Amino acid sequence: MARHGIARDTRLRTEEEREFELGVISRYRSLEDQVRQKAKQKDYGQDTFQLTSKLLQRNPEYYTVWNIRRRCVISGFASRPSDGSCPSKASSSSSPTATPLPSSDAPLPESSAETPQSRDSQTAGRSGTTHDVDGGKPSRQSWEDDLEVFKSELHFTVPLLLQFPKCYWIWNYRLWTLNQAIERLPARVATKVWEEELGLVNKMLHKDPRNFHAWGYRRYVVDRLESSELAGKSLAEPELEYTAQMVRKDLSNFSAWHHRSQLIPRVLREREASDDDRRKFLESELALIREALNVGPEDQSLWFYHQFLISNLVESPGPQTIAPTLTEDERKTYIRQEIDEIEDLLEDYGDIKWIYEALIQCTLAVSQLGDRVVPKDLTSWLRKLRDLDPQRSGRWADLESQLAAI
Amino acid sequence: MESLSDTNWDVVISGTGLQQSLLALALSRSGKNVLHVDPNDFYGAAEAAFSLQEADEWAGKNRDEPTLTPSIFAAAEVTKPATVGERGLSFPRAYSLALAPQIIHTKSELLSQLVSSKAFRQVEFLAVGSFYIFQPSSSSSSEASTQPSLSRIPSTREDVFASTAIPTRAKRSLMKFLKFVLEYDAEPQTEAWKARAGEPLVEFLASEFKLDERLRADVMTLTLSLDGAISVGAGLAAIHRHMTSMGLFGAGFAAVYPKWGGLSEVAQVGCRAGAVGGAVYMLGTGVTDVQKTEEERNLDPELPLGISLSNGISIRAKTLVQPAQLQTGGGDAVSLSRLTAIVSSDMSSVFEAMMDGAPTPAVAVVAFPPGCISTDGQESSKFPIYAMLHSSDTGECPTGQCVVYLSTLSTPTSKTILEKALSSLLAAVTDSDSERPTVLYKLSYEQTSGSSTSVNVDGAVVDLPPLPLDLAFNDAVMGQVRAAWDAVTKCDEPDGSVQYMKFEDREGAVDDDNFD
Repeated sequence: MARHGIARDTRLRTEEEREFELGVISRYRSLEDQVRQKAKQKDYGQDTFQLTSKLLQRNPEYYTVWNIRRRCVISGFASRPSDGSCPSKASSSSSPTATPLPSSDAPLPESSAETPQSRDSQTAGRSGTTHDVDGGKPSRQSWEDDLEVFKSELHFTVPLLLQFPKCYWIWNYRLWTLNQAIERLPARVATKVWEEELGLVNKMLHKDPRNFHAWGYRRYVVDRLESSELAGKSLAEPELEYTAQMVRKDLSNFSAWHHRSQLIPRVLREREASDDDRRKFLESELALIREALNVGPEDQSLWFYHQFLISNLVESPGPQTIAPTLTEDERKTYIRQEIDEIEDLLEDYGDIKWIYEALIQCTLAVSQLGDRVVPKDLTSWLRKLRDLDPQRSGRWADLESQLAAI
Repeated sequence: MESLSDTNWDVVISGTGLQQSLLALALSRSGKNVLHVDPNDFYGAAEAAFSLQEADEWAGKNRDEPTLTPSIFAAAEVTKPATVGERGLSFPRAYSLALAPQIIHTKSELLSQLVSSKAFRQVEFLAVGSFYIFQPSSSSSSEASTQPSLSRIPSTREDVFASTAIPTRAKRSLMKFLKFVLEYDAEPQTEAWKARAGEPLVEFLASEFKLDERLRADVMTLTLSLDGAISVGAGLAAIHRHMTSMGLFGAGFAAVYPKWGGLSEVAQVGCRAGAVGGAVYMLGTGVTDVQKTEEERNLDPELPLGISLSNGISIRAKTLVQPAQLQTGGGDAVSLSRLTAIVSSDMSSVFEAMMDGAPTPAVAVVAFPPGCISTDGQESSKFPIYAMLHSSDTGECPTGQCVVYLSTLSTPTSKTILEKALSSLLAAVTDSDSERPTVLYKLSYEQTSGSSTSVNVDGAVVDLPPLPLDLAFNDAVMGQVRAAWDAVTKCDEPDGSVQYMKFEDREGAVDDDNFD
């Protein structure tokens, strides 16, 4: 990101700058001393909490201080029923009324219908009571206050993430907060929090659609949302649609194609797809990737997805197979059809090595299924591969020997 | 306080058109004495934007036929079809009709100079969305006649992928061409076209890329060529500019349009910057005479020009920047017929965002290839017709309405052709079961651009050519402004550190520019 490739500034500092930096260092050291002192004394109250905010804003890599902050938050939960105060009121961030997280423009998966109600009850209680601690209704108040704490903690991490997007400790703290939300909030409320997290992921992927950390994080968030502790509903269909949107935006998005390939078996299972449905699904995926290869044959991501579909046809039927009941003949027919379609590309795209490689891979694949017919142009495909990519002649020699075994 | 005639003017600028206003911006930190006048009582000259009342007045003044007076505009006429119930025109100031609207590609030098001079913050830029081709209705005897329609022109690989209208082989040809254009200026692509740079692009597309008629029309539209005969060199450059501008400021758009009336806003920003920098502005005042005789010059060699203003005052100046005299009848003079219509529909189908997360466009471009519009006398259009559709997001009309700006090269039948194009366009955007939108107001006129395209410096007087009649901003204009600036600052001490159009914020305001 912003920090890559920027040379260190080695110019001499002026006396002024040196003085200024010494001041910064001494203020930092003093903060650090105060925090560690409090921790030694096992003082995890509001003052300590405030101090951790200041220190973490200067140095978010200081993971011990994140742990101290965690203890402050937990002790805040423990201490609330008696004195009613909670760390959120002392924190430097948002006002008590729910500040929406900077996330939710993107389309969110459906949440349970009950959630809007809980929002209403937050801002103005049914009988007109607001956020004052009311001794008569402790259980409802405590989770509302907990929600405020979690929102404010998530909010605290956001400017830090913008500045230090790769700092693991900030992400860990964020995940800890989100998991605390599951433990301490009613399922429907925690679900809303996690849905907003998915919205944040959408924003990240909008900015950088091929960030594989973001895709991995997306899978984690979706997985939690689907778990029984939260909404408990499968998100496979909306996720499949999301991958379609992402490739429409940029065909080269390998992460999106990969995500799609992961979702397919589950989607088909959830749809309770019949053999015929499954066959049609396979055909439509082959058609989709064919359309994409037609305009982007130089794009390796697309060939990887094509290879995934071919492997799906070749491998012995298992839980990942799209159409497990296809006969061997039917599978051979599909692959031979692919060979024809790919050969068609050669009429317009003569110098792209992926095409020749795919033709040879498909020939090997169909031979695995027992088809011993050798395409007449096989030698010219191999020759083309050697011409286009002489550096990998070892690999092409390998392929040649595999082909010779047909 | 010195009076006008007592001041020793460094620069007198005549006219507040785009080039002159950008010059005022360029001079705004120079500390020079600048007097900027305009005979009109509005800013923007030929790039101005008008309320309905101002448009009516302007039309009245420019009513004459072109041959009578050499002026940029002629044959102006306003028509207000009978009001239709409640859905009529709103009050006059709810409209801001641009005389010569232009889209600005995101790569344009104009935008980068507005940024470096810090003037960009005063202009709100809106996205220009899809380009469309008009498809006439087909009415063969064997099938029911289909509606005319608009089809989106693909300009990225993802567009081509998503299109269901282009056959498989044709998609590959188009992709080859698009890849070629992206690298057209490098070897080995230059070998393919440099020798044929002067030939018509349309033939090159057929012979080199085997594009069919439909795809040729799509590609030609991206060039916005007025006569449909743009050369290979100019055409490839135009398409390259379009494609490399795509996505620069955000997903899904290649050009922007300034809110509230297009280039007139940019002109006003330039003049405002000039005024803040100390320039004196006088509207309703023109330059009536310029004396630069030897005699006059000897009176004061530092101030060689004696200038008479239309308000009777005479002033002295070092340099004068003025619009060049229009020479009509020249071989290279270009003349456009224009028709501006206010339509009682928001035409939202045309302004759909290109993709998830992309801004909603406020401008759409529709091209009518030659021959697809005919007059009742069966004469078909010789040249392409372009329609720029502006939604109410541009601030040029109230919500629920749109402004359609049509233009085509002038011919004896061009005015009628534009009327027919307008009604065909409205048919194309209407579903078969909906009511066709009504036209609430029409302004038609002719616009001529002189043949000169370069800045002419004669001693202390600088002549600026009029803005070219392009539909997309031509960066050559920025070169013209620079040439004028060089001419008026040439007597300054040569100082290597003089920055052109690079300023710091005046009050040290926080720089929060954010193009995402």
